Formats: sequence, C-alpha cells, structure tokens
Amino acid sequence: MTHLKRLTAAIFCLLWTASTAVATPSVDDIVKRVEANLSGETAFMRLTMVVRTKRGKRTMKMESWAKGRDRSFIRITYPGKDSGITFLKIDNAMWQYVPRIEKTIKIPASMMLQSWMGSDFTNDDLVRESSISEDYHAALAGENETEYLLDLHPREEAPVVWGRIRMHVSKEYLLPARVSYYDEEGRLVRVLDYLEVKPFGERHYPTRWRMLPQSLDREGHLTEVIIEHAVFDAEIDEAYFTKRALKRFSQ
Amino acid sequence: MMFVHFAVRNIRAYRNRSLVTILLLALTTTMLVFATAFMDGSHAKMLSNAVEIYPGYIQITHRDFRDKPSLDNLIFDTGSVRRVVATTPGIAAFAPRFESFVLFAGDAKAVGGMLTGIEPAAEKKLSRLAASLTRGAYLEEGDGNRLYLGYELARRLKVEVGERLSFVGTGVDSSFAADTLVVKGIFNTGLFDFDATAAFVDKGYFDRIMMAENHATHFIVLPADPREADPVAADLNSRLGPDYLAESWRTTMEGLVQAMLVDSIFGYLTLAVIFIVIFFVVLIYTWLTVFARMREIGVLRAVGTRPGQILRMLVAESMLLALGSVVLGGIIGGVLAWYFHHHPICFSFSEEQFKQYGLAASSMPTAFAPLVILRDMAVMFVLAVGSTLYPIVKANRVRPIEAIHHV
Repeated sequence: MTHLKRLTAAIFCLLWTASTAVATPSVDDIVKRVEANLSGETAFMRLTMVVRTKRGKRTMKMESWAKGRDRSFIRITYPGKDSGITFLKIDNAMWQYVPRIEKTIKIPASMMLQSWMGSDFTNDDLVRESSISEDYHAALAGENETEYLLDLHPREEAPVVWGRIRMHVSKEYLLPARVSYYDEEGRLVRVLDYLEVKPFGERHYPTRWRMLPQSLDREGHLTEVIIEHAVFDAEIDEAYFTKRALKRFSQ
Repeated sequence: MMFVHFAVRNIRAYRNRSLVTILLLALTTTMLVFATAFMDGSHAKMLSNAVEIYPGYIQITHRDFRDKPSLDNLIFDTGSVRRVVATTPGIAAFAPRFESFVLFAGDAKAVGGMLTGIEPAAEKKLSRLAASLTRGAYLEEGDGNRLYLGYELARRLKVEVGERLSFVGTGVDSSFAADTLVVKGIFNTGLFDFDATAAFVDKGYFDRIMMAENHATHFIVLPADPREADPVAADLNSRLGPDYLAESWRTTMEGLVQAMLVDSIFGYLTLAVIFIVIFFVVLIYTWLTVFARMREIGVLRAVGTRPGQILRMLVAESMLLALGSVVLGGIIGGVLAWYFHHHPICFSFSEEQFKQYGLAASSMPTAFAPLVILRDMAVMFVLAVGSTLYPIVKANRVRPIEAIHHV
C-alpha cells in the first residue's frame, strides 16, 4: 500500500511538472507573443495623441494602417494646420510628406532620436519598437500572479539606443503593462504604461498608452495615445505602403 | 664701483668668451620672449575667434535653460529683458536669438541642423556672421523666408544662392512647423562644425512660422569693453532678477577656457625643461671660463685681494653680461613679437588639423605685451646670474698657491 501511495505521488508530481512546463511559455515566446499581440497581421486604428507640457496641452488625431511589424502608414487628421501630414515606415526607414511644402522627406538616421510631432515619442520609437525580439536578449527577472517581469539587454552590434529595457507583461493578455527604458549608464529615461485593455473582436488591446519621460529637460511632460477605434487582421491595400502613398493619401 | 670697472675690463679682455656668453643668453632670452608671445597670442586669438564668431561675450538665458535646454525654459518675454539690458551701463549692443533644431531638405537629401532666428542689423555688431559672407548677401530685416547658411551645410544639401530648400521642425507650441526657404547668402566662419549645421533667418519670419512671438532661447550681449564681460554679467544678473541668468564667455565656453589653461600649463612645462637645460649649459660654460682664469684669480689672491672682493668682481661680470644679453634678447624677441602681432603667422599647411579642433583661423598673431616681455627678461636675468654663482664660489675657494699653479 505504501509503495502504491509513493508511485501515485511520483506520477502526480511528474504530471504536474509536465503540465507546468507546457503552460509556462519561454521568455523568447513571451516577447514574440507580446509583439504579435501588439501588432497583429494587419491593423487599422484611429488615434488621439495628447501632448502635455508645462506650458499646456496639445491634441492631435491621426489614422494608422499597419501590416505586420515592418510596414505602417500614418495620416494626421487634426488639427487642421497639420492635417494631411503623412508618415511611411518600411523596415527601418521612415519618410514623411508635408503638404505645406509639397515635399517627401526621408528622415535621416541622425534625426531618429528627435521628438515625433512634438510628443515624447521619437522617430526611432516608430521604427525600432517593432524589433525588440530581434535586437534584445530577454531574461525573466521575476513574476507574480498577474505579470511577468522581463529584462531586455541589447544584443551585440544591435543598432539600438537603450542600454536596458524592463517590461512588465500581463499574463492574462500577454500584452505589455509597463515598459521602462534605461540608457547605457543605467539611468531611467522614460516609462511607457499600456492601460485600459479592451476587446476588439477576438483580440484584446491596450487603448491608452501613457509615455512619461524621466529626463530633466522633459520634466512635467506627458504624452498619451488613446486608441479610439481599431480593426485587426482585415485586408489593407498594399498601396498604403509605397512612397507614392505619402502624397496620394495625404488628403 | 671699482668692481664694476674691473668687471668691464675683464669682459673686454676676454672678448670671445664674453661674446659667446652674450650670444647664448641673448638667443635663449629671444626664444623665451617669442615663445611666450606666441603662446599667449595664439590662445587669445583662439578664444576671441570662438567667442566673437557666434557665441558672444555674454549670454542671457532662462535660469534653467543651460541645464534643461527645452522649450519649457525659454525667455518668454523678450520685451522685459530688452528693457533691462537697454538701461544697463557698459553695453555696446545686444539682440535676442531663437535656436531650433530642424530637418533641412534639399532636392537631393535631408540633413539635420540648427535654424536660428536673428535680428540681422543687431547681429552684425554681435558676431562675425555678416563678415563671414562668401556668396550672395547677408540678411536684412523683413527678409521673410530667405536663408543665410553655412557653406558646408549648403554643400551637403546641394543648394546654391537663389535655390530653394525646405525645413521641418517643432514650433514653440510643440506644433509641426515647416516651410520653403530661399538661399540668400552662404557664409564660411572657418568653424567647420558650425558651418556644417547653422542656418539663419530674420527673427520676424522665424517668430511667425515657429509661433515664437516675443520668445527667445537667449540674448547675446556685447559689453562696451569685452574685458569687462564678468562685471557686466554680474550687473545684468542683479537687474534681471532670479528668472534669468547672464553668463560671460568664461562660463559659457568653460571647456575651451580649460583647454587653453591646460595648453598653457604644458607650454610653461616645456619652457621649464628648456630653462633647466639652459641653466646647466650656462653653468658649465661659466665653470669652464672661470676655471680658465684660475691663475688670474690665484695672482689676485696672492697680491692681497680678499676672496669677497674677487667674488664681487666675478658676480659683477656675470651680472653685466646677463644684463647685456637679456636686454639684447628682449629687444630682438620684442621686435619679433611686435612684428608677428601685426603680421600673424599663417599655418595654411595645417588648415585641416585646425578644422578638426574647431578652430576658425590658421593664422596666429603673437601677443605684444611689454610688461610680459620685461617679466621674461627678469626671469632670464635671474637664471643667467644664478647659474654662474656656483662655479664662481667654487673657484674662489681654491687656495692661492693651487690657483697660481692651475693649468
């Protein structure tokens, strides 16, 4: 009887261990699924961006079309002064079209760290954010009942600007909850919170992104992106992801 | 007086030895005077270039702008600053500027750079921008979208006078700012990095397009006497109050000032090594000349001349030779310093190295400062006399009988 009890306990333990191993994804899987959940096969969104500074608040509205993680197209729709400005991102390159000067400009590498549209996001954020799994080594730094805590360190020779990224990932949705960006000296530069996860069809998506810069020169700044409407995995015209689209879809 | 008489007689008697001593000391005095004049002159030139080309002698900013150079820390009321500066004594000229980092786009490519709104007429007195014009024309008030840019930036954007380019940037209200500009003039200050990034428009136009009405990143102030930059800045600080900060070039260009100081220290260390070598050369030469006169010293001692009297005679000889040498060397060095002060030395062959260090000019004038020349002459005099004391004292201690039989 004692032997039978021991055997039962051993089998139970093995089964439990195996089931746990199957249920816990690897760290790389977590990062890849986070990226996939954030981007989808395709995505169309209507967004509002609110930039708050010490001097006041500025609101912009825009539409965004994205295919996979490498191609996206953005059109500013509000305010009227900026309406029609378009941005195209293909892989690591970025162009913008400005109706006022009727010119398509390729953003040079030296401008990648400049603010995007006066916000706390940079041009680099739009280009690089998608390649975290390619550019960083991920390690599990901790976990609790609701979140994984991941530490991301840049791979050797990866063309990235951050010395370290710390990411809180929601276990329920496998979406980021908070991402902290550190420079090469280990100083916290900014914190991005992904809030208010809502269902869009079968997909859940954070509808409020809050970027809080930590550097002295941007003290008192805050940028919020509110996703007002989103359609995932629907057909998007390939014509959006060409340089001609910048002018064509400007209006 | 008698010792001086004997000293003069001896200098004449040993004419060749005296001549060699005078030439040696005069040459080293010339070297010292000229080296000091060149070092001081080149440092002053580098500093004045760096200060006068663009940054200016005094800058006024919002008190937090230097640590946190953001749109939150601008001068938001240029009118009030203007009124205070205008009533401050000791100021020759001043003007606001607004600097903004933008993306310039020509037909061929886009390049990041600094677009600055200036008041063209006032800027003429404050910087060398207008004087650095190479093609086209300098800006005027009411020029609108006409652009004055550095030659290297123009080369990178592949634009010439009369051609168009665009810029995109961020307005003071964080809005998107963009417009088409027409090249009016191209400048070459000689500061390579500056010429590769800087472009200017009339501030009236800049204010409209960047929503910067009555705003500035800083004011540039030219004191009536640039040497008084520090006290004038202190006076401005007391008048402007705690919201603003007036700083002289010694603070705003602290890095360059420190670099010049380090360079001076190394310069003086090099001179110190040369002095040590000179000291021993003169000491050895004096040793040889004094011991060559050992029999004479022995005879003088034998006829009753006291060692103290011989010491005074030899020291008087040394002092007369040193005095003649440093006066001669000081005059030659001074003439050279004066000449190259008015006709600067040109290092055209090393222009590229100068550019690497961000230096505007490869021609360096020497400093001509009579007091510094007198100081160097005094240093050489003390050094020359000091180096002869040991051989003189040593020779004077030899007993008369040994001295007479000295070969």
